[in-house]
Amino acid sequence: MRNRSFEKHYYLMLLPGLIWLVLINIVPMSGIVMAFQDFNPGAGIWKSDWIGLENFEYMFVLSDSKTVLLNTIYIAVLKIIGNLIVPLVFALMLNELRMQIVKRWVQTIVYLPHFLSWVILSGILLDVFAFQGPVNSLLGTFGIEPVLFFARADLFPYIIVGSDVWKEFGFNTIIYLAALTSINPALYEAAAIDGATRMKRLWHVTLPGITTTIVLLAVLSLGNVLNAGFDQIFNLYNPLVYSTGDIIDTWVYRAGLLNLQFSLATAMGLLKSVVSFILIVVSYLLASKFANYRIF
Amino acid sequence: MKATKNSLALLTAALLITLTACSSGNQPPANGNANEGSGAAAGNGETAAPAETADPFGKYETPVTINVGQAIDPTDKSLPQGDTPENNQYTRHIKEQLNIDTKIIWQTASGKDYDQKVNLSIASDDLPDLVIVNDAQLRQMVKAGQVEDLTEAFEKYASPAIKGIIEKTEGRALDAVTFDGKMMALPSVTARGDAVHTMWIRKDWLDKLGLEVPKTVEELEKVAKAFVEKDPDGNGQADTIGITGQQAGGKLYANFLASSNNTFGLDPIFSAFNAYPGFWLKGEDGKPVYGSIQPQVKEALAKLRDMYASGAIDRELSIRKDAAEPVVSGKSGIFFGPFWMGYWPLPDAVKNDPKANWQSFALPLDKNGEFSPHMATPSTQFLAVRKGYEHPEAALKLMNLLVRDEAKFDVSVSLNHYPVRIVYAPVDEIEYSLNALKEVLAGTKTAADLDIPGYKLLADDATKIGKAKLEPFDNNDIQYWNTEDIGIWSRMYSIFVGGAPLLEPRNEVYSLVYSQTKTMESRWANLEKLETETFLKIIMGAAPVDSFDQFVEDWKKQGGDKVTQEVEEETKG
Repeated sequence: MRNRSFEKHYYLMLLPGLIWLVLINIVPMSGIVMAFQDFNPGAGIWKSDWIGLENFEYMFVLSDSKTVLLNTIYIAVLKIIGNLIVPLVFALMLNELRMQIVKRWVQTIVYLPHFLSWVILSGILLDVFAFQGPVNSLLGTFGIEPVLFFARADLFPYIIVGSDVWKEFGFNTIIYLAALTSINPALYEAAAIDGATRMKRLWHVTLPGITTTIVLLAVLSLGNVLNAGFDQIFNLYNPLVYSTGDIIDTWVYRAGLLNLQFSLATAMGLLKSVVSFILIVVSYLLASKFANYRIF
Repeated sequence: MKATKNSLALLTAALLITLTACSSGNQPPANGNANEGSGAAAGNGETAAPAETADPFGKYETPVTINVGQAIDPTDKSLPQGDTPENNQYTRHIKEQLNIDTKIIWQTASGKDYDQKVNLSIASDDLPDLVIVNDAQLRQMVKAGQVEDLTEAFEKYASPAIKGIIEKTEGRALDAVTFDGKMMALPSVTARGDAVHTMWIRKDWLDKLGLEVPKTVEELEKVAKAFVEKDPDGNGQADTIGITGQQAGGKLYANFLASSNNTFGLDPIFSAFNAYPGFWLKGEDGKPVYGSIQPQVKEALAKLRDMYASGAIDRELSIRKDAAEPVVSGKSGIFFGPFWMGYWPLPDAVKNDPKANWQSFALPLDKNGEFSPHMATPSTQFLAVRKGYEHPEAALKLMNLLVRDEAKFDVSVSLNHYPVRIVYAPVDEIEYSLNALKEVLAGTKTAADLDIPGYKLLADDATKIGKAKLEPFDNNDIQYWNTEDIGIWSRMYSIFVGGAPLLEPRNEVYSLVYSQTKTMESRWANLEKLETETFLKIIMGAAPVDSFDQFVEDWKKQGGDKVTQEVEEETKG
């Protein structure tokens, strides 16, 4: 009995958060019905004409839908992999550094791009990769013809993924570094006495020590990544790279906000939510299977 | 969130109904007043005529408050200390003359942000009393029943000056706002000059390289290549651009929905092939056809592709963030745009390099040796009144006052601070002004001769032209201009240099329609995307020229045929 009363006031403390969640995240979900209507702003949600699945049928006739869905998944998956592996490797390398001062400096500097918004960074990127920009003049010294990077549909996803990883890896590195400090130094000493080389210590002590953190980051990024691309791609893309760079969010923005096709945009947004949901479920199943990580 | 907005709207609506009860005594029998000519009405705007007589300039007896959404140019610093967008010389003038208080309920940066805010207001059914919208937005609002019918208010309250300006468009302006025989918004009327895109070229570069002004597309290509390869700016580096094209998000060519003011597009090159992508034309059998799927467009694209590959056109076409930048920094030799380039971007270009001699020509010519530009609808902006607003005639009074007093305003405070201002200009304003000002320079006319109704800035221009133009008066090269007062120079250079090509003979091509049909509302965005993507890819070498044929097929299949049918029905009626 004592336990239960203890729980009660925890629930009370949870209440404000729950109310916020319901008001901000759950209530607007009712707007999903727009996907099944011919939404008329004058009539509102309650009185707009009900058209069933027509929006979805039209969406699947459009060759765009398949393209943006595949683009979204392709870019998302590459970003997840990149944002997991690059910071991990970088953190492990930093961890092996003996000079603490170098480690601190490097850590701080790579962390900086995280604080810049994509609006600013996109301007910088467009200049750096411009036809007469530094990257092309560097290529020029090797006798390579200048490349118009942002007009190349085949390169665009990799520029997007590459720049996103470059922007964020410093931030994730810090999380890994924090996890690394929690490993008991006695384990390293013991391994060293047993004759383990540096590589062996890395493999058998360091990595198992931070597995939970890796899995946690992976799961969190899977849930978020379908939301994460809009600012970046919106500021960098152009019609030439629609075929590989147009994602669900940018498509919804153009259809809903620029072209006033509210219902079609909602239908597409709903599709995105479904994909997100599937991704989260899959990642959770994977996490519980391979890393014994459970939420429930 | 939607639900709360809706109940809020209901609540306000309920409030408004109670309010309207107090002020519904408007029954104006006398419209003889309106026919007397603007001169008389303009003279005694002070006399507060009671609202019941339908006086276009009548002052309200009790103050009327209008809620507006206003676009503000964030770089505009013209408001004097202490004035605000809500309280400035224009709003005070309106209060004094009409007893109207304008209240800004939201403001955004002009341009894309404004459109977005209006779209959001439409979607949430939370509109200001008066709002400026574009064609697609107006259609959406009419469909949603969000706008007030202005037919009666226009009949009774529009001033003769405004009626005259609208009549001069030969029905085009009214067509754009008429739905089922009812006038659902006030159309703007812009000068024809905004629609004609001409070739702007650095004449000092031409002279330096010993070249002639290019007359055809072939010559244009040669000149553009010379500009790229022969170092016209003389800095020893290969950093110059031949033809600057549109920036990221810009349009390759104006289309029937946004038919004028397409800066940095390549419209004149298309029209030199008699290709009018984005416009609805009369086909050989007399039926409407869509310009973008005609064989002439394929020809033009093939040529543009060659020009792009040879470097004559900016490599960063459609990727560059700001197409004006190379013009301002003196790296570009040619671009296309309407007459008003003297306002922007040329002032900065001339500040950077006083010798940058930008001149404008009605070129290149087509195969018949004619300049055949596409022409615009005179109305691109619409002033809509929210459904249920109790003073729809206030919209007309605001515009009447604007047109009557525009010339008297001190325009060093940007006119954009006039609440919900849409442009009213006679269609031939630029050509007429140019001819008149030439006479002023020649001494055959004075400012006093030029106080002509409608041409509101002309008399003022006549007093200023002497400050900007130096002798010889028949030579418009940059060294014969005084750029000290860049504000005066901007307008005069626009009229004299930008306006000169408008006096040349031209073969005008109009679109059959300038607004969306029903199917377009849902399908057009995707068709347009298909078009933009295909054309850019062809020009920039990412797809073969023959992908045009596939595009034509896809376009027809994905709704184009249906849209064409609708346009046919619309043009029949």
